[in-house]
Amino acid sequence: MDFYPFFDWLDTSPLATISKAYGGVFAVVQMLHLLGMSMLGGMVILGDLRLMNILMRETPSEVIIENTQKWFGVALVMVVISGIFMSSAVSLKLYYNEMFWAKMSALAVGVLFFYFIRRPLLKFPHSQLNPWTLRTVAISSLLIWFTVAASGRWIGFS
Amino acid sequence: MLNELLLSFARWLDTHSWSTQIHESIYLYAWIETTHVLTLMVFLGMLCIIDLRMLGLIFPSVPASTVAQKLDRPMMIGFAVMMLTGLLLFYAIPVRSTQSIWFRIKVVLLLLAAVNAFTFRARMQASVGRWDLDLKPPKHIRYAAGASLLLWAAVVITGRTIAYDWFDCHKELPYVMYWAAGCVNEMAALDAEL
Repeated sequence: MDFYPFFDWLDTSPLATISKAYGGVFAVVQMLHLLGMSMLGGMVILGDLRLMNILMRETPSEVIIENTQKWFGVALVMVVISGIFMSSAVSLKLYYNEMFWAKMSALAVGVLFFYFIRRPLLKFPHSQLNPWTLRTVAISSLLIWFTVAASGRWIGFS
Repeated sequence: MLNELLLSFARWLDTHSWSTQIHESIYLYAWIETTHVLTLMVFLGMLCIIDLRMLGLIFPSVPASTVAQKLDRPMMIGFAVMMLTGLLLFYAIPVRSTQSIWFRIKVVLLLLAAVNAFTFRARMQASVGRWDLDLKPPKHIRYAAGASLLLWAAVVITGRTIAYDWFDCHKELPYVMYWAAGCVNEMAALDAEL
């Protein structure tokens, strides 16, 4: 699948007009992206550390997962919307940037993992699940989201 | 006077070979900065959860004090890593950062956030027994939580804009900007890079 037409369109879209012309607006949106990332990361870290019995052990893990999942969704919407705006400023450059595609792949894996593996699995009472299954899910989730954030930062260095 | 002192301190740091080595390395500076930014997920992530609880938006069934106490340690670990990497980033580029208006605003905001955090903590400890299980904590707690989120959002944006050269001292700026950025020597940052 070639995404070039999308990036080509984005490059001349009204979004790009704003993101290319106003550095201040870009910086504010980038702040929202970082805040969304913090929130998303916070929810993932708390949820996964609870599944590994490291953090907030007194609170049932079902309660932690239910609350953090809700806010994960909010944070995901924040980072995706702000991310599209940010990419509109340099969309064709990103299209040819390997690190950008590494991040997008990691992000796709992260979202699929979250909504099609972690969430359905954690709908079962956690006590019925094998503790090693929970640990594996938690560690995978932490690693995936670390990769997303780190490769995202690296787009700027590459 | 203060600006001169700060600049000479920055110049002294700049003479250290480690400062130059971090600045000029291919990966070290990038990794320090990546660690600094990624630790936001630990520090600001935990802070966000605590503040959201104080605003009554998350964990309604968990006592507010439990959320604050249990997340305090990971939050402070994140904070320590951010401080350490932040100091290293300053150490790598001391002269330009010292005369950067964004860096200066960021330091002031960090101090304000610290004051807010300490008064918030004191107030919470004094009154938490009365509202610990309330879905919505009292107004003054909610205001402090809102202020905390806004202050940290501002810290993030000023941190990000340090990288932009819009108001660097060597540019033509209104006098007030020179004053706010503490420009002593307009060419100092450029000289330092040579």
